[in-house]
Amino acid sequence: MRKDVLIIDDEPAIRRLLIGALERNALSHVEAGTAGEALRLATIEPCPLVALLDLGLPDRDGLEILPQLAALGIAVIVLTARDATDEKVAALDLGADDFVTKPFDSEELLARIRSALRRKAGPQADSAKRQFLDGSIDRNTHRVTIRGQQVGLTPREFNLLWALSDRPGRVITHDRLLEEVWGPAHRQDLDYLRVAVRALRRKIEQDPTHPRLIINEPGIGYRITVS
Amino acid sequence: MNEALPQRDADRFLRMARAEQQGKLTVYLGAAPGVGKTYRMLQEAARRKAEGEDVVVGVAETHGRGETEALLAPFEILPRRPVEHQRHRLEEFDLDAALARRPSLVLVDELAHTNAPGSRHPKRWQDVAELLAEGIDVASTVNIQHIESLNDLIAGFTHIRVRETIPDSFLEDAELIVVDLPPEALIERLRAGKVYLPDTAGRALANFFTPNKLAALRELALRFAAHNVDRRLSSQLELSGERADFVSGERLMVAVSPGRGGARVVRQAKRMADLLHAPWTAVVVESASARGVAGSQREQLADNLALASSLGASLMTVAAQDVGQALVEQARELRASQIVIGKSRRSRWFEWRHGSVAQDVIRHARSIPVHVVPLDEADEKPVRAYDPYSQRDNAIAFLAVAAVVGVLYLLKPWIAPGAIDLLLLFPVVIASMFLRMRAGLWAALWAALGYNFFFIEPLYTLSIHSPADLVTFIVLATVAGVIGGLAGKVRRQAETSAGVARLNASLARFAGLMGALSDRDETARVACREIGNLLDVQAMIVSLEDGAVVVRGNEDFAQLEMVDETAARWALEHGQTAGRDTGTLASADWQFHPLKTALGIMGALGVARSTNERVIRPDDATLLASLVDQTALAHERLVLEAEARQVDGLRERDRLRGALLGSIAHDLRTPLTAVIAATEAIPAEGTFADEVRIARSETRRLQRFLNDLLEASRIEDGSIEPKWESVDMTDIIHAVLRDLRQDRPGSRVTASIDADCPLIESDPLLLRHVFINLIDNALKFSPPHSRVDVEAFVQNDALLCRVSDRGPGLPADQHGMFDRFHRLEGGDRVGGSGLGLWIAKNFVAALRGRIVASNREGGGALFEIALPLTEAARPDQP
Repeated sequence: MRKDVLIIDDEPAIRRLLIGALERNALSHVEAGTAGEALRLATIEPCPLVALLDLGLPDRDGLEILPQLAALGIAVIVLTARDATDEKVAALDLGADDFVTKPFDSEELLARIRSALRRKAGPQADSAKRQFLDGSIDRNTHRVTIRGQQVGLTPREFNLLWALSDRPGRVITHDRLLEEVWGPAHRQDLDYLRVAVRALRRKIEQDPTHPRLIINEPGIGYRITVS
Repeated sequence: MNEALPQRDADRFLRMARAEQQGKLTVYLGAAPGVGKTYRMLQEAARRKAEGEDVVVGVAETHGRGETEALLAPFEILPRRPVEHQRHRLEEFDLDAALARRPSLVLVDELAHTNAPGSRHPKRWQDVAELLAEGIDVASTVNIQHIESLNDLIAGFTHIRVRETIPDSFLEDAELIVVDLPPEALIERLRAGKVYLPDTAGRALANFFTPNKLAALRELALRFAAHNVDRRLSSQLELSGERADFVSGERLMVAVSPGRGGARVVRQAKRMADLLHAPWTAVVVESASARGVAGSQREQLADNLALASSLGASLMTVAAQDVGQALVEQARELRASQIVIGKSRRSRWFEWRHGSVAQDVIRHARSIPVHVVPLDEADEKPVRAYDPYSQRDNAIAFLAVAAVVGVLYLLKPWIAPGAIDLLLLFPVVIASMFLRMRAGLWAALWAALGYNFFFIEPLYTLSIHSPADLVTFIVLATVAGVIGGLAGKVRRQAETSAGVARLNASLARFAGLMGALSDRDETARVACREIGNLLDVQAMIVSLEDGAVVVRGNEDFAQLEMVDETAARWALEHGQTAGRDTGTLASADWQFHPLKTALGIMGALGVARSTNERVIRPDDATLLASLVDQTALAHERLVLEAEARQVDGLRERDRLRGALLGSIAHDLRTPLTAVIAATEAIPAEGTFADEVRIARSETRRLQRFLNDLLEASRIEDGSIEPKWESVDMTDIIHAVLRDLRQDRPGSRVTASIDADCPLIESDPLLLRHVFINLIDNALKFSPPHSRVDVEAFVQNDALLCRVSDRGPGLPADQHGMFDRFHRLEGGDRVGGSGLGLWIAKNFVAALRGRIVASNREGGGALFEIALPLTEAARPDQP
């Protein structure tokens, strides 16, 4: 039977806590204490759906096995310290699905796992139409609807919102957004992004100074709220 | 010895450092005895005593004058030190008593006085120097004719030469007060019997007191004092870094010759250098002919060099054949602007034959002005020592010529007549090459006479009849003489350059040896061995360790005699040469040379010789100086290396500390993560609901505390480097609020951000930390469930962010609020690391902002951060 979660952490205490939380929520799991063990378990068919990856592993750096796990189609959620911004960006760039900051709140962690599982279970039926909190974006009709009303966006704003909603609920790094919307030459021009996000927020947020739809992770990137 | 400019800076600081601890010297300068120097000194001292200074009298010569003795009454007088000398009982100034007593001012009359034999220093001014070095002020008296550089000048017109002189350099830092009395008044005093004159010298001294001479002496005294003021001013400017000194750009070079004349030239040069405010260098040229000069003359040369050194000259010795040319070359190298040289009044004939160095110098000097000091013949009496080998050489030369003449005479029938004169040159060349020059010339003479006597008709007479023979004879005599002279010269040149090459080679070898050593004892041992071999002396290195004199490098003399140890200590503590053949503690067996470096005195090199000669032969002085320098450098290098190692050690320790903190952070965080996750997993309900809540909040607190410690260690490392990027304050504040909702559920924090808040250049992570700390702090001091407000808006070219609470407000004493481990009143009750505000302050500072604390209108504390606005770049299309 296909397991829901692969737990990769070298601390047995953390593993037991995670297992407790998963079991209480009726999620199946396997566990690994090393990178080697994790790769072995990940390659057994059928592979797990989600991996919880602690980056500090005894045999290898977690970032090294991350691309392999992602390539197997596993949604990787990285467990990392709050101030390890560079690590988070690197993980996201290497294909991580999401990250959770240690020390983590088990409710938040479970929410992230569930949303990852949901994404795994059913990819969006219409790839030209994407949903997010209070609204949707349609590529074919070039229409953005927020709280039931159509919103007029410039092409740049439309592209930005499209890029953000590519992976709803997940953080998309600044670099990646800049590259997709402005092109690879503008990966460093963070202020383009900031200004565009502000303009977009004015059009689609209820209160632009208290954003709920487009959320920033300082130093990392933006995520669009799903629900 | 050419002083380089950076060295001068180092010297300046050394002098400055020294000047700060040195006692002050005040010297009452008189033109002649009887002007009232002692009286004036006592008056001045009485004034200082009245002002509360601790003044004692070391020596005061009242010469039985009542008014002077009356002045002495209020002072504490140090007992004199009795000295027995040749059944005379002398009383000397008791230096040790003065040092032990340590007053702030000591009066020591008669600065030029010569101490009784067996005293620590031969001269009283050296006693005074020691007092000054110990930080004790000294007042003293001296007459103008005792000043070293004026000695000749005054002896010239008074016909009295005083032997007790004081080096000018000693008075350079002294305050000179001229005790002036018009000549007529002085003569009046003399007539009235108010001037003390020793009986023996009475008549001679009375000659002194003519109005003309007194006027001249008075002028000299005034001029000397005026010049001293001048010089002190410029040296103070120099100390303060304004290099007023040597502004003239002048630099003097004086050629030093042996004898009294040489000393006169040196003194003349000193006076000129002073007038020009110029540095000066005394140069000796070692030439082949100078190598031949007798030992006593070399000692005189060394004495004159020492004199120049004591008058403040740099010393330099060069080896060359042509003395005149070498001097001019040296002058060019030193960039000397003027040359001073002595010239004896010899006959034209003597000059024509021997040449005159002064003439040569003038001829070569071209653009450099040359000052020629005329010398008396008495000044320049050639001193020729008895050379036991010259007789032997002459005898050998004679026998060689005689043998060749004999052989030629016997073989005469078989030898072509023309060959005989050529063959006779043979012994001349041989004698010139291997014997003294004089012997070569003698050989030429004997050869010529022998040729005449045995081979020229009429035979066996010294007369010549045939003109052809006469020509042959003259040619032979001339050729023999020239060859003899030339061969001798060639040999001596070779010897000179071989000597110089040997010297350089041994110095290079020594430097190489010193450079390769890495251990202090080993360095000392090798240095002593090499110096011992090079100078044919015993050598040791002494240093001060925990106040004790320690000998290294020479196991044979590990235990020093009392007097040697004192001399060693002197050299180490005062940085001056001491011991045998020096002015300090000459009764010691060892002579100690301090190893001075920019780092201080590394130790001292001790040298000794078992025979009664001078420890260091005059012509070895330069070599010794170089060896001392090399040894000092080697020691300095060892110290620097040790320091470098220590720095490396510190760096390593720092690295370890960083690594330790990192690993502690990891090791603490991991279990803490588990604990937090576990406490979150326990439902906060039922019997233990409160306990679970307490466990949750306390573990969160522990985590914040750990984060604070890590941030603090980053700040201390100086490793806070903002990553500048475009920042939207809305994003930062909302991210912080999200964190808070997770960490402190139930807290009420509201954000109000001006919609027109511009983007700024900053570091989002540092800003987030600042806000977390400020909001944490606000929550800590607010009543439960009260509101904390966060605002952001633009005001006056700055982005202002405020965090305010509704707590008790700031305490009355806000001092040190942003310091480490500072807790506001009652802070202990609320808990916290005491690092929060300190971290916030440092981060804001790193972001080029300011943070201030004040009280909120309506109660509570208000923290305000002002961040600089930047011209945000516009995107191509918003």
